[in-house]
Amino acid sequence: MALPSSIAITGLRTFLGQHLAQRLLGQGPGVNVVGIDLRRPYRFEGRVRWHRVDLTDPTADGTLAEVFERERVEAVVHAAFRSEPTSDLEYDHELETLGSLHVLNACAAVKVRRLVLASSTMLYGARPDNPQFLTEDHPLRGHPAAHGIRNRVEVEELVARYARRHPDAEVTVLRTGWIMGPTYEDHVVRMFSRPVVPTLLGYDPMLQFVHEEDVLRVFERAVLERHPGVFNVVGDGPLPLSTLLALAGKRRLPVPAPLWYRVLDGLSQGSVGDPPAGFYDYLRYGWLADGARAWREFGPPLYTSREAWISFVSSRRMRRYR
Amino acid sequence: MRHPTDPVELEADETEGAPDLLRRALEELRAEIGARFPALAGRAAAPREEGAAAAEWMALFEELRARMNRVGVRERRGEIDEFGMDDEWLRRARPLIGFLFERWWRVEVRGAEQIPAEGGTLLVGNHSGLLPWDGLMVAEAVARAQPRRERVRFLVADWLITQPFAQPWLTRLGGVRACRENAERLIQGGHPVLAFPEGAKGAAKVFRERYRLKRFGRGGAVRVAIESRVPLVPIAIVGGEETHPVLFKLEAAARLVGLPFLPVTPTFPWLGPLGLVPLPSKWTIRFGEPIPLHELAPEAAEDELLVSRLTEELRQRIQAMVDKGVRGRGSTWA
Repeated sequence: MALPSSIAITGLRTFLGQHLAQRLLGQGPGVNVVGIDLRRPYRFEGRVRWHRVDLTDPTADGTLAEVFERERVEAVVHAAFRSEPTSDLEYDHELETLGSLHVLNACAAVKVRRLVLASSTMLYGARPDNPQFLTEDHPLRGHPAAHGIRNRVEVEELVARYARRHPDAEVTVLRTGWIMGPTYEDHVVRMFSRPVVPTLLGYDPMLQFVHEEDVLRVFERAVLERHPGVFNVVGDGPLPLSTLLALAGKRRLPVPAPLWYRVLDGLSQGSVGDPPAGFYDYLRYGWLADGARAWREFGPPLYTSREAWISFVSSRRMRRYR
Repeated sequence: MRHPTDPVELEADETEGAPDLLRRALEELRAEIGARFPALAGRAAAPREEGAAAAEWMALFEELRARMNRVGVRERRGEIDEFGMDDEWLRRARPLIGFLFERWWRVEVRGAEQIPAEGGTLLVGNHSGLLPWDGLMVAEAVARAQPRRERVRFLVADWLITQPFAQPWLTRLGGVRACRENAERLIQGGHPVLAFPEGAKGAAKVFRERYRLKRFGRGGAVRVAIESRVPLVPIAIVGGEETHPVLFKLEAAARLVGLPFLPVTPTFPWLGPLGLVPLPSKWTIRFGEPIPLHELAPEAAEDELLVSRLTEELRQRIQAMVDKGVRGRGSTWA
């Protein structure tokens, strides 16, 4: 099948949306890139056809269907998700869960051939009874206390249902691990950017990272070619947290888990929605994903976990000396 | 591509702040090579591909990039595998493990020649003691008998390997959370794996039940061996039961602290953490003849009756080896 000639990206202003749009434009003038976002895109100078659609609007599905129809969209990348926990739980739920429902309804209405969902391996949940490597068939157990993760699990369920009901649509779900690289930034990256990183006393979990370049490459191929299925997109070669911090010359601040969880719960009372304590389970229990299926499908990764981490560390260090 | 668990040379390179001009030039070069030779972008790792010049450029670029990335990074010695076993920690723990093996428990090893010399193997033993000393000692026994062999990974119950401090220590020394996925992955990777199918029931035996093997789970060990097509080596460990003689167990207090049981031994909890020091009994580790489960068809793993019969046979076999060992020893401590 030929390349899709018109591709829509929801969440154009996210890291993924922007860089993917850039890469798709590099495919040449034959590819029409459509961006959906509330905010005006920058740096594309009109080469991306931007449509301002509010996904939380109750009629967003109709509006989107119209846009898709008009632009003859053949493939949709759904990436309109927050990269940060938020205090506005209600809006978060509206945007992530209902927004996704609207996107799926629009895809169904105009029979979009291909759908790529940006998801995360965090949805498996950090649990003491996880196997060392979680495969794509493992249930998404999420985190009982993390609202944002629960929304994303619901989104995956919606997309799985969509794939069942539309067997001729090619649905690709890409679950990325923690992304690292010279430019990517989110709350995880910020936590690791500080010279001292709080860790849980007596725990030294294995962590894995994926380089932003590998993530973009996989998304690009998933939208341009036919790769239906669910894939964990993570770098090879996990390393213990202590080793990672030592590599980067960062200090650890080990805190007893019960104390730290209580402190964070107290701090977040009424201000931040997701209890950050829930987040620290990800620095306590294993939640490594097995990336073998993705690298068989998309070709081997350019960066290992260690290289992704070092690429992040060295770029931050240089920024300090600028 | 350089795998993170490849041995790395120790570099104390403290020069920080390489000029980012060079870095940017490299990034541009990378982008250009990527754009001109799109087919190569995914193959940077294999510089010796056909297609020559571009591949060599790519290799040179990768080399430069790798060097740039290591500026100011503190390297470490030794490998860490994907399950977190750390060669450097093992090297540092060797004197202590050696002391426990030779002096403290004076471990006597019988039948070490029964261990297959290569490939994935499943070792199954009787469990005893609160802490997985038995796992460490069997791993050490195999390492001494077959120094070139991969180190044995011992499976540890969830409740223990998720405890603070136990988690990093056990992981670095080759402990792995006991579950089927982990056992299969390790065995298929060619590692010897040690399982204690009695599980927590075995560890929590009270002293008067010593050396009476508990039920062997639900046949997981046998099923893993059949499916992964590897032989199963039975092991009897005699002496382990006396390291932490459990007088009785506290259940209500255990629930309070979130443990499956709280043992009371002659020394614990009376002496506090000191009470966790194991008693110096005399140990014997006996390796039995491998059971050729790999000769069965993999479908046999689905046959519940067969699996449960084989599991019970395995239990009886280890029980017989243990009985022989207990009868054959003189004093418990000498």
